[in-house]
Amino acid sequence: MTAPLMLDIKNLGKRFPARAGREPPPWIIQDMSFSVGAGELLTIVGPSGAGKSTLLNIIAQIETASAGEIVFDGERITGADQRALHPGLNRRIGYVTQDDNLLPWRTTIDNVLFPLEVQGTLDAAARVRAQELIDAVGLSGFERYYPHELSGGMRKRAALIRTLVYDPPMILMDEPFAAVDAQTRTQLQEDLLRLWSLKRKTIIFVTHDITEAIALGDRALVLTRRPAHIAADHPIPIPRPRNVKDIFTMPGFASIYERIRADVQ
Amino acid sequence: MSSADLTTELSEGHAIPRQWIVTGGRVALAVALLLAWEWGSRAFGPLFFAPPLATAERIVEMAGNGKLFTDIVATLRVSVMGFIIGCTCGIGLPFLLRLSPRATEAVEPFIMASQGIPKYALTPWLILWFGIGDAPKVIVVTLFVFYITFITVFAGIRGVDQRLVNMARIIGASERTIARKVIWISLLPFFFTGLKIALPRAVSAAIVGEFLVAVEGVGFSIERARQLSDTTGVFAGIVVAVALVLIINVAVNALERRAMKWRPTDRDMQL
Repeated sequence: MTAPLMLDIKNLGKRFPARAGREPPPWIIQDMSFSVGAGELLTIVGPSGAGKSTLLNIIAQIETASAGEIVFDGERITGADQRALHPGLNRRIGYVTQDDNLLPWRTTIDNVLFPLEVQGTLDAAARVRAQELIDAVGLSGFERYYPHELSGGMRKRAALIRTLVYDPPMILMDEPFAAVDAQTRTQLQEDLLRLWSLKRKTIIFVTHDITEAIALGDRALVLTRRPAHIAADHPIPIPRPRNVKDIFTMPGFASIYERIRADVQ
Repeated sequence: MSSADLTTELSEGHAIPRQWIVTGGRVALAVALLLAWEWGSRAFGPLFFAPPLATAERIVEMAGNGKLFTDIVATLRVSVMGFIIGCTCGIGLPFLLRLSPRATEAVEPFIMASQGIPKYALTPWLILWFGIGDAPKVIVVTLFVFYITFITVFAGIRGVDQRLVNMARIIGASERTIARKVIWISLLPFFFTGLKIALPRAVSAAIVGEFLVAVEGVGFSIERARQLSDTTGVFAGIVVAVALVLIINVAVNALERRAMKWRPTDRDMQL
């Protein structure tokens, strides 16, 4: 890999602590190793319940690891102690979760500005930046709407730019587009690729949709069923910029799709 | 007729009678209550049932000589002081306990058990300690308000969506900011429910306290009127107490609507 490493995971393991007097529960993640280069868009495909969300929670430092080592940007961050965790590691790891987790009492704009507000970096320039992002994902005109007044796709967009607005160098995304209809999903994927091509963040994008993994990723990792580890690591040979809508007509799509599907099963 | 006309007509045909029914129902109930009251005074005699008109005249008279004002100020002084102290502790303690699950487990059964102590029964003992000033009454009001706010805020904190808290942590919010901007606002519906129970209780507790020890106040006036067999005076005091609670309720409701105007349910639950 030519780019410097952003994230390096070695022999990661996770299981939840045993209850008193019971057998320890099985490993959820076992002996998982992979690395992500700076500016890379890595997709991770795996069956439901494979521990994909747990993996991202560990990287985001809201959950402890039970074994192994994580090096983020040259710094060892693994913690087995819940209280020693640094969620989001000083705002350098953004996390777009499966649920949008917008604050229901805040309007779109106030949700997008929330990170800047709590970080104490909310100034006129930041407001301009937030408005640019809102315009870029087509939420203009909905700034003063509450989350319950927005459609599912709009809420996803708001959640995405709430993370982009404070500019973390790495962003974790946990099936962020799973709950929307196919057409909206394609639109959201195009939005994401456009924003990524401008900013070149390091992105780890978890999905159970193979087509999505191919359409977005520089590389696609395939996870096994529990206990999860890496079954395969496929570079995606499709050149950028990509046309998400017609990705399956691109040369090379069919063969990479077949190979990933074989690995998933 | 175009479809737009139809829509307008439908919504209007719905909204107006609904409002009429509610208002009409309220007026009818109020009239029925007044009639029952008047009937009671005629059936049982003015010693047991003061007539509504005489009660109203008494309230006007009390308003005229300033007695009404000093009574209300005295009762509100005790209620508000107790309310503020009880509310501060009832909100502050659950937030402190949030920082330590172990301390919570240790402390919670004591708080719940101590709730069983009959608070009015403490008043004579409190008078022994603090004399016959405001203090014993304020303490009783504080206890009533504390338990209600503690239980509702505690339940509210437990009910907070942990995913929102995690999101706030990841974007770099401090625990203080999370308490203020995520947890506190999440638990407002619980808090307002508690407030609606606690505020009338605070006024009642102040009035009962005044029965036992006071030189002024709504409760004091009721008790003194009773000693003089002045039934009209007792009724006037009760009406003033009810009016106080009603006004406080209106204020709390307005505050709640303001604080939670974002809630989608408000629209559907509105009467």
